[in-house]
Amino acid sequence: MTASHTLLQAQQAFMAQVLDEDQPVPSHWSPRQAAGMDVYRQNYRSAVVEAVVSTYEQTRQWLGEAAFQRAAIHHVIAHPPSGWTIDDVGGGFDQTCAQIFANDLAVAELAWLEWSMLGASRAAQAAPMSMEEFGQETAQFGDDDWANMTLEFLPGVAARELQHDLHAMWQALGAGLQQRPETALETPRGCIVWREDERPTFMMVDAANVAALQSALAGMSYGEICVLLAGDDADQQALHDAAMSAGAMLGQWLQESLVVGLNAKI
Amino acid sequence: MTSIPPFGGFGLGLRKTHYADFLDGEVEVDFVEVISENYMMDGGKPLRVLEEARAKYPVIIHGVSMSIGSVQGLDGDYLDRLKQLEQRIDPLWVSDHLCWTRTSAHNSHDLLPLPLSHQALDVVCDNIDRAHNHLGRPMLFENPSSYVTFPEDEMAEWEFLSEMTRRTGCYLLLDVNNIYVSAQNHGFSADDYLAGLPLDRVRQIHLAGHTPRGERNDFIIDTHDRKVCDDVWTLYGTARAMIAQPVATMIERDDNIPPLPVLMAELDQARRLASDAMAGLSA
Repeated sequence: MTASHTLLQAQQAFMAQVLDEDQPVPSHWSPRQAAGMDVYRQNYRSAVVEAVVSTYEQTRQWLGEAAFQRAAIHHVIAHPPSGWTIDDVGGGFDQTCAQIFANDLAVAELAWLEWSMLGASRAAQAAPMSMEEFGQETAQFGDDDWANMTLEFLPGVAARELQHDLHAMWQALGAGLQQRPETALETPRGCIVWREDERPTFMMVDAANVAALQSALAGMSYGEICVLLAGDDADQQALHDAAMSAGAMLGQWLQESLVVGLNAKI
Repeated sequence: MTSIPPFGGFGLGLRKTHYADFLDGEVEVDFVEVISENYMMDGGKPLRVLEEARAKYPVIIHGVSMSIGSVQGLDGDYLDRLKQLEQRIDPLWVSDHLCWTRTSAHNSHDLLPLPLSHQALDVVCDNIDRAHNHLGRPMLFENPSSYVTFPEDEMAEWEFLSEMTRRTGCYLLLDVNNIYVSAQNHGFSADDYLAGLPLDRVRQIHLAGHTPRGERNDFIIDTHDRKVCDDVWTLYGTARAMIAQPVATMIERDDNIPPLPVLMAELDQARRLASDAMAGLSA
């Protein structure tokens, strides 16, 4: 066994002690060393829980302090951090909330929103494409150009389907949660998150809009998105309607300054 | 590797609470220091604020996650992002801590202690060499506060730091509060610590507050959440009287952050003690 291998094992063992408060310290440790380890354990636990708290202030307010703390502690125990930035400690907290609050999935959707807003807030700056610029770029497009066109979006744009009214929840939270709104949606909708200047923001849209945006973000062409929206075994009318829908969605993405560029693959 | 010329002055950490004050450019400091990791992102408001602050003040970038003592080496993504920040800001210097924070599987987000052994020294020196080569400039490393010692210890912390600077060409960020905290926790002499260091390698001093903890207050913890105590001010005066070259001194406050005038009053106290010490040196 090499010397550095010995130190490696020592660091792995020390880390395991820090992460697991219930693990007994090695039997050869003095009471003073054991007390010192308690300091590191407390420092670690308070730092990572505080990181979850600072990322999910609205989820915390929605849940109340006791329930949120339980969830945060469960999350950091189940998912000890591995990345260099403490911001990442909160990654996957929406899934933790989905497990813990399985009877109230609005909590998980709210946590997803806050995580997505954090991502948007620290994403790279990019200049959005104006309607006019888009019009100039596509002025000479033929049918094939439109079909093959792919879009580039603002860094940090995120989208998902929703079962709950995040807009109503967010408004209620902004008003100090004096009244809890009805959260369940009659039909699924969608949410798009992005950054306006320096402020993360979101809007609720049709579920089909989110499906199209997710596909566009994944690199699907405009023509493929139209086919996706039309559905399987679509007839000419359905394809026409899908193209109209896709056009309206594209207009909304441009209107909200989500698009930064386009590529026409001929 | 280039050298870091001495820079004399008094500064504060740039914290969100005081962003507006600093951006007004009215704060009488010679530099500001930021936590590197808070700005190692692709974009957004914090980076814009930092760039605006940089236009008004020299900036030091001070990290907590390099993990210079990790046997498994440094994180390449971390180094790339630190380099991007360094190139964007052109700081006075880049610093981190003599500690480790990560294994390949986990990150503690706390500054964990190293055994003061020759094995650990080899690891630290190899990692510092890699960091220096990646950044293209030498760094400062800060003496940590610690709460355990190890049976494997083969030297005093000041001997470890001395050998580390000699072998790598790095510089020292002397945290006077950390010396006090570790001296109290482990029972060594803070004066011996200062006397054993290569003080010509010191480019910066940190001052901060600490908190007693434990059933019998048997540990003191480096909390940065209160004012600098009298004993630490005394140790600062001693250190300044032993350091011949100009150094940058700053007050570190990361929790319970008070209004700016409170921190400026502490910085004035540092100025007075440094002035007294320099008068003694030149007498």
